[in-house]
Amino acid sequence: MSQILKYVGTYKKATIIALALMVTELIVELVQPMIMATIIDEGIAKREFDTVMIWSGVLLGLTVVAFVAGIVSSFYASESSQGVSHDLRRDLFRRVQSFSALQMQRFSTPSLITRMTADITQIQGLLFMFMRIGLRAPLFILFGLVAALSIHAKLALILVLVIPVLVVVMYWIMTQGLTLFSSVQTKLDDVNRAFRENLLGIRLVKAYHRINHEKERFFKVNQVLVEFNKKALWLMEVTMPILMLVINGSIVVILWYGYKETAQGGAQPGQIVAILNYATRMLASFGVFSFIIMNLSRGRASSARITEVLQEKEEEPITELNQLKGSIKGDIQLQHVSFTYPNSVEKALDNISLDIKAWEKVGVLGETGSGKSTLLQLIPLLYPVTAGRLLIDGKSVGEKQGLIRDHVSLVPQEVQLFSGTIKENIAWGNKHATMEEIVQAAKDANIHDFINQLEEGYETKIGQRGVNLSGGQKQRVSIARALIKNPSILLLDDSTSALDAKTERKVLQAIKDRKCTTVIVAQKVSSVIDADQIVILQHGKVVGIGSHADLLADNTMYRQIYQSQMNEDVISHG
Amino acid sequence: MARHQAVNKTRPTIQNLSGTIFRVVQYMSDYKKLFFVVILMVIISSVLSLLGPYFLGAAVDDLIKNLDGTYLVQMIILLLVIFVLQSITTWLQNYWMITVAQNTIFSMRKHLFSHVLTLPLLFFQKRQSGDLMSRLTNDVENVSRTLNTAVIQLITSILTLVGTVVMMVVLSPLLTLLTLTIVPLMFLGMNWITKRTSVHFKKQQQQLGDINGFIEETLSGHKMIKLFSKENEVIEVFDQKNKELKHEGYWAQVYSGFIPKLMNSLNNLSFTIIVGIGALFVLNDMITIGTIVTFTTYSRQFTRPLNDLANQYNVILSAVAGAERVFAIIDEAEEEDSTKKLPDLTIKRGEVTFQSVSFSYEAGVETLKDISFRAKAGDTVALVGPTGAGKTTIISLLARFYDVNKGKIMIDHQDTAHYSRASIREQMGIVLQDSYLFDTTIKENIRYGKLDAEDEEVIAAAKAANAHSFIAQLPNGYDTILDSNGKEISHGQRQLISIARAVLADPAILILDEATSSIDTITEIKIIDAFQRLMRKRTSFVIAHRLNTIRNADLILVFDTGKLIEHGTHHELMKKKGYYYDLLTTRDGEGSLGAS
Repeated sequence: MSQILKYVGTYKKATIIALALMVTELIVELVQPMIMATIIDEGIAKREFDTVMIWSGVLLGLTVVAFVAGIVSSFYASESSQGVSHDLRRDLFRRVQSFSALQMQRFSTPSLITRMTADITQIQGLLFMFMRIGLRAPLFILFGLVAALSIHAKLALILVLVIPVLVVVMYWIMTQGLTLFSSVQTKLDDVNRAFRENLLGIRLVKAYHRINHEKERFFKVNQVLVEFNKKALWLMEVTMPILMLVINGSIVVILWYGYKETAQGGAQPGQIVAILNYATRMLASFGVFSFIIMNLSRGRASSARITEVLQEKEEEPITELNQLKGSIKGDIQLQHVSFTYPNSVEKALDNISLDIKAWEKVGVLGETGSGKSTLLQLIPLLYPVTAGRLLIDGKSVGEKQGLIRDHVSLVPQEVQLFSGTIKENIAWGNKHATMEEIVQAAKDANIHDFINQLEEGYETKIGQRGVNLSGGQKQRVSIARALIKNPSILLLDDSTSALDAKTERKVLQAIKDRKCTTVIVAQKVSSVIDADQIVILQHGKVVGIGSHADLLADNTMYRQIYQSQMNEDVISHG
Repeated sequence: MARHQAVNKTRPTIQNLSGTIFRVVQYMSDYKKLFFVVILMVIISSVLSLLGPYFLGAAVDDLIKNLDGTYLVQMIILLLVIFVLQSITTWLQNYWMITVAQNTIFSMRKHLFSHVLTLPLLFFQKRQSGDLMSRLTNDVENVSRTLNTAVIQLITSILTLVGTVVMMVVLSPLLTLLTLTIVPLMFLGMNWITKRTSVHFKKQQQQLGDINGFIEETLSGHKMIKLFSKENEVIEVFDQKNKELKHEGYWAQVYSGFIPKLMNSLNNLSFTIIVGIGALFVLNDMITIGTIVTFTTYSRQFTRPLNDLANQYNVILSAVAGAERVFAIIDEAEEEDSTKKLPDLTIKRGEVTFQSVSFSYEAGVETLKDISFRAKAGDTVALVGPTGAGKTTIISLLARFYDVNKGKIMIDHQDTAHYSRASIREQMGIVLQDSYLFDTTIKENIRYGKLDAEDEEVIAAAKAANAHSFIAQLPNGYDTILDSNGKEISHGQRQLISIARAVLADPAILILDEATSSIDTITEIKIIDAFQRLMRKRTSFVIAHRLNTIRNADLILVFDTGKLIEHGTHHELMKKKGYYYDLLTTRDGEGSLGAS
C-alpha cells in the first residue's frame, strides 16, 4: 500500500483539494442538525419568525456551498485517481519491458496481464472511492459523534458507547465474510471447470457414454458451491438487521433520556431532535461500511500484486540497450554449459559443449523435453547459463545483450505475430527495411505468392481483428521477419513443422544459401540431413554429434529415428 | 452509492420479458411457499420502516407537549416493538430469499448441465466454445446474484417509495408537495449527467480495451520484443495509448462523480425545505415539530429508492437477458428423444456394414456420398485420403455422433439406428486425435475407460499402451495431476494416456484417429506399437497416416471428396495403380496421407 501512496504524492495538490472539498461537504451535513435544533429551540419555541427565516437562509446557503464543493471535488478527485493509475500503468509497463525471460516466466504472463489491467483498475476505483465516499463515512461517524456530544453530552453518551462496538462487530463480520467469499470463488471455479471440461471434452464424454458419471460429478460440485454461497451470504445479510437494531435501539434510549432530561429542564426538544437526526444519519453511513471494507481488501490485494512487480529488479535495463554498435561474425561455442530453470531441480541442459563455426549449418534432434528449445534460447541470451561458458566469436558474451540480439534471429516454436498488417509484421524485424527487402524476405520464406493472392496483399491485416492465417503461413511470416534482420546467426526452433515437405525444402534451401550461422531444431531427420553437424540431445545431454553419415554409422538412437522416419518418408515423399 | 456505475451500462435486448421471468419462477416452484413468506416479510418490513419514523415524530411531539410522560412510555414500547420486528423481518426476508435463490440456481445449473451433455455433437460444432462457456457460467451467476438481492430490493424500493409518499401526504400535503419539487430537479440533473457520461464511458471502454489488448500482446510476445530489441518502441506506443486513456478516463470519472454529489445536494435541499418551510408551518400551527422529524427521515427514505430503482431495473433486465441466453440452450433439441426408449445393442462379433450411406452437415452439401463397404469381424480397416475427404465423418457416423441422411449402418446385421446410442458407444473404444484429458490425476484419466477398474487394471492398461514407463518416472507417478495447459507431459504422452484409456475400456469395436503431427519420434514409435497391440483381435477402424498401419490393414478404404473411390488390401491397390498408388508414389507430399 505504501508504494501506491507514493504515487498519490505526485498528485498531492489535487488530492488535498479533493479531500478538503469533501470535508467541506461533510461539515455542511454536520451543521444541518445543529441549525435545525436552533430553528426549533430559538425560532419555533420562542415564536420568532425572523430567526426561522435567517437560519433557513443559512441552510440554503450551505446547501449551495456543499453542491459547489461536491462538483469541484469531482474534478480534483478524478485528476488524482486517473493520474495515479496512468503513472502506475506507465511504470509497470516499463518495468516489465526490462524483465528478463526468466523473470517473465516466474511471474507468468497471464498473471502480469491481470496486474497491469484489472489490478490497476481496482486501485484507481479504490482511490476515487476513498476521496469521495470512503473517508466520508468514517469521518461522518466520528465528527457526528463529536457534534452530538457538543449539543448534549449526556444524551449523546449512548452513541459513544454503541458505535465502537458496532464498528468492531461490522469489521468482524466483514472479514469473516471475505474469507467465506474467497472460498465461494474457488467452489465457483470448480463448477466452471466442470463445465469447461465437459464442453471441451464432449466427444470423449459421448464416446465413452459417461453422461451419468459427469452428471454425478457436477451434482457434487454444484451442491458444495450452493452450500458455501448460502453460508457466506447469510453471514453478510446479518449486518443490516444488527445495524438497524442497535442504532434504532439507541434512538429509543435517547428518546427516553431526552424525556427525563427535558422534564428536569436539562435539555431542549430541538437538541433531542438534532441528536436523533445524527443517529439516523450515522445509520446510513454505516450502510456503506461493508462496501468500503470489501473494496479496501480487494485494493490491498491488488496493490500487493502491483508492488511486487515494481519492486522486482530490472534484469535487463532498457537504458543500456542499443548502445553497443558493431557486428558479429557468427562463431558459437558452448563450453560445459548447464542450465537449470528456476524452481526446477532437474538440469534442462547438462554439460553441453559445442563448437559451431561461422556460416555452419547445424541440426538438433531429440525428444520433447530433451532441451532443444532451451539450447537455442541461450544463444540470444534469453536465459543466462547456470554453469559453463557461452562464447560468440570467441569472446565471452558478458553484458552485450543489445549487440547480440541485433545480430541473432530466433524463430520460436510458437509463432507470435502482432496485430497489424503482414508488411508491418515482416518489417518488425528491421524498421528501416525497404519494400524490396520485405518482398525478398517473404520470397525466401516462401510466403510471397500467398501474400500476393490476398486482396490487400502486404497490407492485409492479421491478428485479433484481421485475417486468420494457418499455422504454416504464420510460421513462414515469422521466418520472413527473422530473415529481414539479416542475422549473422539464425536459430529455427521447429519452425517448419506445419509446412508440407515441398515448401519446407524450398524454405530450408533459401536459408542454406544465406551467409549466416544456422541452428535448426527439428522433428524430422529430413529437415537436417544436409547439416554440417547434427546434435542429438537426450535428457539435456548430448548423446551424439556428427554428420548424417557419421551418426548413421555409429549412433543407435539416430539410426532408430532415421529408420522409423524413412518409413514415413515412403508415404510423404514416395 | 456503489451502484451508480451501473447506470452507464447499455441496456440489454430482451425477447420475452414476462415469459422468461415465468420460466425462472418455474424453477422456484419447489420453494413457492417460502418465496411467498419472503414477500410477506418484505411487505411487513417495509411497512415497519414507514411506521418507525412516524411514531418517532409522534413521540417527539408527545415529549414536547406532555411533560408527564404517560403516553411516552407507551410510545417507546411501541417503537421498540417496531424496531425489533423490523430487524427480525429484514433478517428473515434476506435469509429465506438466499435459500430460495440458491436452491433455484442449483436446480437451474443442474438442469442446464444435464441438458448440455445430451445435445448432439453438431450443436457444439456450430457454437463458439467461449460463448457457450459464458452462458454456462457468467449468465447463470448473473441470475444468481440478481435473485439473491435485486428481487427484494426492487419490491422494497417500490413499497417504500409509494408508502413514503402516502405517509407524507397524510401528514402534510403541502410540505409533501414542496419536498417533491426535488424530483424534477433530480431527473433533469441525472439526464444531463448520463448524457455526458455515456459518451465518455464508451470511449474510455474502447481505449481500455485497446490498451489491454496491447498489454496482452506485448506481454505474450515478450520474448520476441527482447529478441528484436523493441523495448523502447513498444514503450513509446504504450505511453501514447496510456495518455489517451487517461484523458477519457478523467472526463468519464468527473461526470460520473457528479451523480452522488447531485443526490447529496438534493437531500440537503429537501432538508432545508423541510426544516425552513416546515418551521414556518409550525409557527402557523399547520404541522407539529414531530412532523418535521418524521419528514426529514422520510425524505431520505424517499430519494434513495428513487435512485436505486433505475439501477435495479437495469440489473434485473441484464439478468433476464442472461436467463434468456441460458434458456436458449435448454430449448435446444436433445440428441436422442429421451421419451422414446430404444433397446440396447449387444455387439457379439463386430461385423460392420455401411449400406449406401450419405450424410451432410449442412443441407445441400453432401459430405459423404453413397458409401458402401463391409468390414468382417476382427478386421483392421484403414481409412485413407486427403483432409476433408470424409474419413472423420465415417467414424463419427459409426459412433452415432450424427445420424445418416440416407442408407444404413449395420453392426452384426442390426441397423444401429434402431438401438440406443448409449449401448453402441459403450462398446466402442475411441481414441481421438485431440486426446482430451481431464484436469485430474493420470490414474483417473485412464480409469475413465472403465469407471470401476481397480488400480492394478489401470496400471496393466498403461503398460499395454506403452505409457507405464513414462508415468512411473513422473515424481507423482499415476497421481500426477494434469492441467489443461499440459505443462507436465508432452502431446505424445497425452496420446499414450488416451490409448491406455481405450485399452481399459476393452471395446468390441475400436476407432483410432491416428494423428501424430506434433509428436516426437521416440514417442511416435511407442504409439504405433501400442496401436498395433490394441487392434489385435477386434474390429478396428483407423484413420491412418503411417504406412505400417496401412500395409497391414485387412481393408483399405480410400476416400476423396466424400466418395469411396478405392478399396482393397495394400497389395491389391498397389497392383491396381490407381489413386492409392499415386498417393504413395508422388514425391510431392502436399495433400498426401500425411496431411490431416
